[in-house]
Amino acid sequence: MTRYIVRRLLSLPLLLLGIVSLAFLISHFTQGDPLSAIVSERQMDDPAAVAAAKARWGLDKSLPEQYVIYVGNLLTGDLGISFRTKQPVAQDLLERLPATLELVIAAMLLGSTSGITLGVLAARFRDRALDHAARLWALVGSSTPVFWSGLILLYIFSVVLGWLPGPGRLDARSTPPDGLTGFLTIDALLTGNMNLFWDALHHLLLPALVLGWTVMGIVSRLVRASMLDVLSQDYITAARARGAGEARVLLNHALRNALVPTLTIIGFTFAYLITGAVLTEAIFSWTGIGSYAVDAARSLDYPAIMGVTIVGGAAFLLTNLVTDIAYAFADPRIRLS
Amino acid sequence: MGRHEHLRWGSLKVAAMLYAGLSAVTLWPTAASAEEALVIARQLDINSLDPARGFCDTCQIYFSNVYETLIGLGKDNATLTPRLATKWESNGDQSQFTFHLDPEARFSDGSPVEAKDVKWTFERLKNVKGGAAFMMDGVNSVEAKDAHTVVVTLAGPSSEFLNIVSAPYTGIINSDVASANGATAAADAETTDKAETWFLANSAGSGPYALANYKPDDELRFKANPEYKRSKVAIGDIVIKHTKDAVSQAQLLESGEADIAMQIDPDTAKTLKTDKLNVETIPSYNFLYVALAPGAKGAPKLTKEIRQAIGYALDYDGIIEFTVGGAGAKTPTPIPNGFPGTSGLPEPKQDLEKAKELLAKAGVPDGFEINSEFPSMNSYGVDLSLLSQKVQQDLSKVGIKVNLTPQEFSVWRDHVRGDGIPLTVSFYAPDYYGSAQYVQFFGMMEGTPWFNRAGGKNDPSILNPQTAELLKTALASGGDDKEKAYRDLAMGMIDDRIIIPVVSPNLVLASSKSVTGLRYSACCNLLMDELARQ
Repeated sequence: MTRYIVRRLLSLPLLLLGIVSLAFLISHFTQGDPLSAIVSERQMDDPAAVAAAKARWGLDKSLPEQYVIYVGNLLTGDLGISFRTKQPVAQDLLERLPATLELVIAAMLLGSTSGITLGVLAARFRDRALDHAARLWALVGSSTPVFWSGLILLYIFSVVLGWLPGPGRLDARSTPPDGLTGFLTIDALLTGNMNLFWDALHHLLLPALVLGWTVMGIVSRLVRASMLDVLSQDYITAARARGAGEARVLLNHALRNALVPTLTIIGFTFAYLITGAVLTEAIFSWTGIGSYAVDAARSLDYPAIMGVTIVGGAAFLLTNLVTDIAYAFADPRIRLS
Repeated sequence: MGRHEHLRWGSLKVAAMLYAGLSAVTLWPTAASAEEALVIARQLDINSLDPARGFCDTCQIYFSNVYETLIGLGKDNATLTPRLATKWESNGDQSQFTFHLDPEARFSDGSPVEAKDVKWTFERLKNVKGGAAFMMDGVNSVEAKDAHTVVVTLAGPSSEFLNIVSAPYTGIINSDVASANGATAAADAETTDKAETWFLANSAGSGPYALANYKPDDELRFKANPEYKRSKVAIGDIVIKHTKDAVSQAQLLESGEADIAMQIDPDTAKTLKTDKLNVETIPSYNFLYVALAPGAKGAPKLTKEIRQAIGYALDYDGIIEFTVGGAGAKTPTPIPNGFPGTSGLPEPKQDLEKAKELLAKAGVPDGFEINSEFPSMNSYGVDLSLLSQKVQQDLSKVGIKVNLTPQEFSVWRDHVRGDGIPLTVSFYAPDYYGSAQYVQFFGMMEGTPWFNRAGGKNDPSILNPQTAELLKTALASGGDDKEKAYRDLAMGMIDDRIIIPVVSPNLVLASSKSVTGLRYSACCNLLMDELARQ
């Protein structure tokens, strides 16, 4: 398996180069002038100012020249300077990635555990009240737009009940902990600041629940379907005939096999949410990769668009690899080679 | 314990922890907070923190509070007041201005503000060719007579120069500190100045506040400048928290996490609990307009008669009701109400019969078809998509069929500056208190952005020969003569009907009851040194 993992890791740069090349071409063939993000309205009518801006940001060079320069810089770890934030893109991404990861990991934990639990229970009590309730809850979760559920939950829990804070990662009056990992909950614990830890956890809960609800909807329906399939297999009947307890049959015999297709979905959902949790990030003022990607696209911020593409591509490729490895653990019959 | 058991117990433990966490949520203590920080919720639309490069609404707030200008604007939003310059005078024809600096003024590092800093700042603003460089157009020389006297000589008279130096973009920078960090005011500064990144993490001004921290798309933190003596700064730390939409801003305000919300639209304002908050709706100086481009590629015939017919076909009251729920005002001309030259102008009103009569006179009694692209965005609380739909609806009543196409702002700007767009909608907010900026942007004279966008090169008939002459008169005169010249310019722009303002949305100032001193400034948006807590 080690050889397999190394081979997959070695192929990553080549695959990423392909993604980068494609994204470079697509982003440069869109309508609109990126100078609008750099040069002010009035200065656009000053040819000298426009020429200076083009030269400063390398937009005066031909597309192949820009591509060669970009890939050359990429090899040295330089992702360029964002047209919009005027900061190095690598710095922008490093500041935002932990925020997104903290949110997505929390949402995946909440969504996956509750989705698997609901899926198992729904399959076990098929066509009974619990099954119907679980399916309805899952349907609502997977079909409710997060911009709606986010705003409603914010209104109820933050404004009406006052139990949870409003948007943001921390109370705006708090000073963020020194950036050790960028995960505010972990950094607060590492610095021993429990007030800050509760503050960060408080802020994390609602967006993670909103995002996790969607994940739960997808996972529970898939687990239910897989479990129903597995529970009709002969070896399950045999296990029951041998006198195995229901919990043992469900968890050890059925769930383990039913989880294999679910892992693929969990993996893809995780990778997708790295750059795709845009609406949740917008509603909860979460300074993550998703909102950065949208702002970059809207202002034709090429370096930022490319940076996000690389992060998103790497997330998908790595998640694929991890999912493949997880298969082998979940199902001993699968051998990676 | 086998691997199966590990998995099961691990899952159970995680589930138990999550459930325990969820059930305990209401028992958690409220977040710790430093009492002294005042939080403002608004969208951070910052494109730079370098005064020579930044040009945005939040930039106005930042520069106003960090980089003191020579002159300020009084609470009446019309009277110029001393700031770094304690007094000033001009020569007879207003082409030369002498400013006398406050000898006590200090930058945040304790060094004195001197005439050389003013000279360096103005020259850099001009030479970097950034967003607000146009403010230095017409400045021939800046001379430091002595440490505290500056003489600015213009190429021609400009009665508006004093207003210009009240604009936040002209705030004075500590030239020694900035130069040591890559800034330059040299003629080639547009390519040799390397200080923009430095300005993202540092400030070098003499205003009531200094930069504490900036995280793009997250927060902008200010700390009081201990060297500032012009007024008593009541709040030591202020944070502008990036909050994109009005609803989220309202929620932060209502939950007590923010003290001020700056971009709440009138509809959302109606939902705020006024027993706990101060909510004030005031007229703003921002406006949205319909623009016609007779010289745009593919434009139908848009003679002055037809443009005037379009002006009469629009339902101004309906637009204000439809876009901002009635919380707005009509603006007769593309100069904000209350600015020089706008007193007593005739209010625009819908007259469908007159519109049809003008169309018939122009030879298009059955109307025509016209393409419209608009930026797909919300500006000053107005959804441009809704506004465009209302315009489409109004014009259909006189037989004009408008084909709407929404565009991303960057694409729209590219198109409007390229081939032009026959009919579009857009917005404008003042850069400082003064009317010349509007004539120089919207007036139908050679070289203005909207003369070019309206296709003046393809259709020279849109040129208004009086505009340039009247502007010259306005800039060279004062008092009643100046007011009359701007009024003539305003009437000229109404008659041109290239730019048809349709709504000036009201501004909602919402804050917690404990905050005092919150007001809207025409030059500077928000002056933080006036804020206090009860």
